[in-house]
This record gives sequence, structure tokens and C-alpha cells, in this order.
Amino acid sequence: MRGSLLAAGGAAMAEGPLARTVRSKLAAALEPSHLQVLDESPRHGGAAGAGTHLAVVVVSGRFEGLPPLQRHRLVHAALSAELAGPLHALAIVARTPQQWESDPSVPARPPCLGGSKHERRGDGNGET
Amino acid sequence: MSGVVRAAWRLGAAAVRGRAGRLLSQAAGEGGGGAAAAEGSGGGGSGSREAIERLVREHPVVVFMKGSPEQPLCGFSNAVVQILRLHGVEDYRAHDVLQDPDLRQGIKNYSNWPTIPQVYLNGEFVGGCDILLQMHQSGDLVEELKKLGIRSALLDAEKDQDKK
Repeated sequence: MRGSLLAAGGAAMAEGPLARTVRSKLAAALEPSHLQVLDESPRHGGAAGAGTHLAVVVVSGRFEGLPPLQRHRLVHAALSAELAGPLHALAIVARTPQQWESDPSVPARPPCLGGSKHERRGDGNGET
Repeated sequence: MSGVVRAAWRLGAAAVRGRAGRLLSQAAGEGGGGAAAAEGSGGGGSGSREAIERLVREHPVVVFMKGSPEQPLCGFSNAVVQILRLHGVEDYRAHDVLQDPDLRQGIKNYSNWPTIPQVYLNGEFVGGCDILLQMHQSGDLVEELKKLGIRSALLDAEKDQDKK
């Protein structure tokens, strides 16, 4: 399955314009020490590079003292235009540099169960 | 509802209608059918603040998802169902946003959160599937369920293990 092979190959390979925009907005808003933007669109039936389903790993001192909900809200705020538009799904890992140092692992993504195929617009971690 | 709260809500609803207007034109571009979806949370429909307020207070555990617990239609929604199941939480309220475009938009406005699934504990929004997973892994979910008077099945699983 070409789609999943592409995804397995790593996001950097097929980073489309949306993923690039997300990357630069997150970099500007949160000044992360570590930032990964993974395009999981192929795993959800989208084209590789489409960027419609993204997973982001953001490591930033800005998250210090904030509970997970507030951290995710910061990420959403940076990407409000994209989330209102083409970005259908967004999985978020938001850690402080200390947390990332003690645990640089990322939870496995749940398999797609069709989401957007059941309905015109898809959704993620969700989805919109 | 106090006058201040009502006024604030109306402002929020107006902002939503603005956004709904944009959705309407998007839907038209995609070939229509979005009109009902675009008319979001104003005026007492299923996506209104009041309707959702009632829904989130219906039960200690309320989930807005795609599909149903018996048949989730999205991997992230399924993750929430599975996590709750691990804790032995099978009795909760689940609302399928795919069945109701007004609810789908309304719930995002209500929590000011752009994605589905959404988990509410005791009427309070706790987050989506990533956050629920974190809470599960950290042990926080067991504690939060305890506050709701729900004993997590994982506690019993541990007890059994201790006995061995």
C-alpha cells in the first residue's frame, strides 16, 4: 500500500504546503526546542502531502505550568485559521523540555476507522 | 441566566454566525448540502449553548464523538471508547455528531475546541483523545472517575494482581 509506505517513510519526505505552514506558525507562536509535524493524511485516505490530517509534537518552555488542556489550546490558537479551513485532524503532543528529556516517546496513533469517508468533512483527535 | 452572561453568550453566538456564514459559502463551493450545518448554534436548536449545557450535565461522563460506542466511525473517537472501556466505564452518554450538523458545530463553539471527540466529566470539558490517553497513562483518569463516584475497573485489576 503506497500510501502507508509513504507515511512510514516519515513526514519530512512529503511535507506539503499546509504542513509547512503549520510548522512555521507553531515555531513562531511557541518557540519550540523540538518540533515535529507529521502528515498522516495517507493513513486517513488522503493524498500524501495533503496535510489534512496532521500530528504535531511540540516541545516548548511556554507549556511550563500549564495543564494539558491549556497547552492544546495554545496550539489551536496558533493554528486557528488552518483548523477553520483545510486542516481536518490534529493530534497533539505538547511537552516541556524537561518532560521531553525524560520521555521522548510519542504514543501510537489510533488506526483510521473511516471518519471522513462517513461524511464529507473529516475529523481528528481529533478531527473538526 | 444573568444579564451579563446572556449578553456574552449573544456576542459569542454572533461570532459563530459569522463563522457559520463562511461555512455556508464553503459548502456551496463543495456542491451544497451544507446549509443546515452552517446555521449553527443560535436560537435554541440542538447546537445551541443551552441544549449542549443540558447534554453535558445529563451524566457524569458525556462524550461527543463520530459514530457510537458500539460502532465508532473514527479512530480518535474509538480511542476514547476503548480507554473508557478499559476502566470499566460502559454506562455513559455518547452523542454522534455525524448525525447532527448543528450539534457538531455547536459543541465546538461551546468548548471553544475545534475537534471531535470531546470528553466531558461532570459537565466539564476535559479534552480530546490525546488528553484522555495522557490521563489514562498518568493515573489521573482513575482519580477523576473516583471523584465522580465511579470506580475504575483497573483498580480491581490491580487488586487481583496483588493477590497473586
